Amino acid sequence: MFIDIDCNQMKKYNQNAYGDYFVSKRYPDEARLIAVLSDGLGSGIKANILSCMTATMLLQFIENQQIPIRKAAEIIMNSLPVCKVRRISYSTFSAIDVNDDGYAKIVEEGNPQFLWIRDNEIMEPQFETIQSKTFKNRKLKIYRIQLKLGDRLIFCSDGITQAGLGGGRLKLGLRREGLIVLAKDKLAENPDISSSEFSQYLVNQARNIETDRKPKDDISACVLYFREPREALIFTGPPYHQQKDREYAEMFANFKGKKAIAGGTTANLISRELNRPITMDTTISIGKLPACSYMEGVDLVTEGILTLTKTLEYLENGTQDIDNAAGKLVKFLLDSDCINFMVGAKLNQAHYDPALPIEIEIRKNIIKKISNVLQDKYFKKVTIQYM
Amino acid sequence: MSEKISVKVCLGTTCFVMGSANLQELIETVPAKYGDKVEVSGVPCLGLCSIDWEFSKAPYVKVDDEVIKEATVEKVLKAIDEKLAAK
Repeated sequence: MFIDIDCNQMKKYNQNAYGDYFVSKRYPDEARLIAVLSDGLGSGIKANILSCMTATMLLQFIENQQIPIRKAAEIIMNSLPVCKVRRISYSTFSAIDVNDDGYAKIVEEGNPQFLWIRDNEIMEPQFETIQSKTFKNRKLKIYRIQLKLGDRLIFCSDGITQAGLGGGRLKLGLRREGLIVLAKDKLAENPDISSSEFSQYLVNQARNIETDRKPKDDISACVLYFREPREALIFTGPPYHQQKDREYAEMFANFKGKKAIAGGTTANLISRELNRPITMDTTISIGKLPACSYMEGVDLVTEGILTLTKTLEYLENGTQDIDNAAGKLVKFLLDSDCINFMVGAKLNQAHYDPALPIEIEIRKNIIKKISNVLQDKYFKKVTIQYM
Repeated sequence: MSEKISVKVCLGTTCFVMGSANLQELIETVPAKYGDKVEVSGVPCLGLCSIDWEFSKAPYVKVDDEVIKEATVEKVLKAIDEKLAAK
């Protein structure tokens, strides 16, 4: 199973920093994912620091595997200070440690209870409670659940459940009941919605409930969706040993999933080995990048280094919907969950001629950078094979 | 009239940065000037820079089998004229 995870947030009105903090990390070797959502006391910079510290520390405790999630959460619960003025905790948190088989351990302290949705019905999982030894009003909820294909989990900060509090229509705010209605309605309308779109929807709805659409608290929604992975393969650069061209071309042809080629020589190689003709776009360039070409059985064919460099820039800046080859490659990548790169190690000496008007990066380096941003920012699973 | 003359503009990385992006106008000027006697298209890579790199003559354009080095719109149009005259 693939875990599609994303979190969307909105700042409290008139603040310039997020008071909730979300952090997530995939461990491809262990087929495992850890995510933490923390809500810091107050808002703005202060809340940002508190929630950031709580979330990152908890993640590090758990990932080191020195201590289980339950123990890590207990230590944090017992150590978080209390605000002298308001006499409440400095931060609250939810954390999940889940593997690809769907076995999940979840802890919650102070955050709204998460939602578990299966076949558009709310599941009510059992939990264990641990009372804090140092603070009377703190208790940890611990869940151990087994997820199935199609299940969704929604974690949120109280900015969602209390949205609209004290306003005209919802005097007590949206509450858990309201969030359930919103989520179920949206899933009934769009059962395959991605976590990115779904979390964005929930955040926007919460904001819309607020008076004058001005959030009175930081709003965060984190969604996990367990589904079949969408696989993609990108072949870029000719292999170091030319005699292996055929072998690699066949690997490419036999791949089950979406396919892209980034590189003119690579496209020619595949065209020659698989005997599939290439046709070009009717233009030569769009937005300072060479136009795409087309080949039967391949979803996207672009030029290599320039397009990849631009793609990296778009991914880093979060730029989407650009009508050029890099924009198309960004869409191709973001519409996939597991992204495999086949990277040819052969260098073209002509690219390193100092007379060239721009500097051309080494392919391996760009792919490494793209891979990092896809993993860290977009939570994709990435593998790279050098040839 | 025999077969069409084919003009292939290399859109590989080297050629593109060395100026094949500026040959865009061929896509419009050639059909306007020669009608359907000449066909212009981009190609992913002609594979010439990697064998000719020491001389660095990108961008490359092929007019039928003739390779035009350091191609410009003028050079390409001239080559087309010569081909047509020879037919």
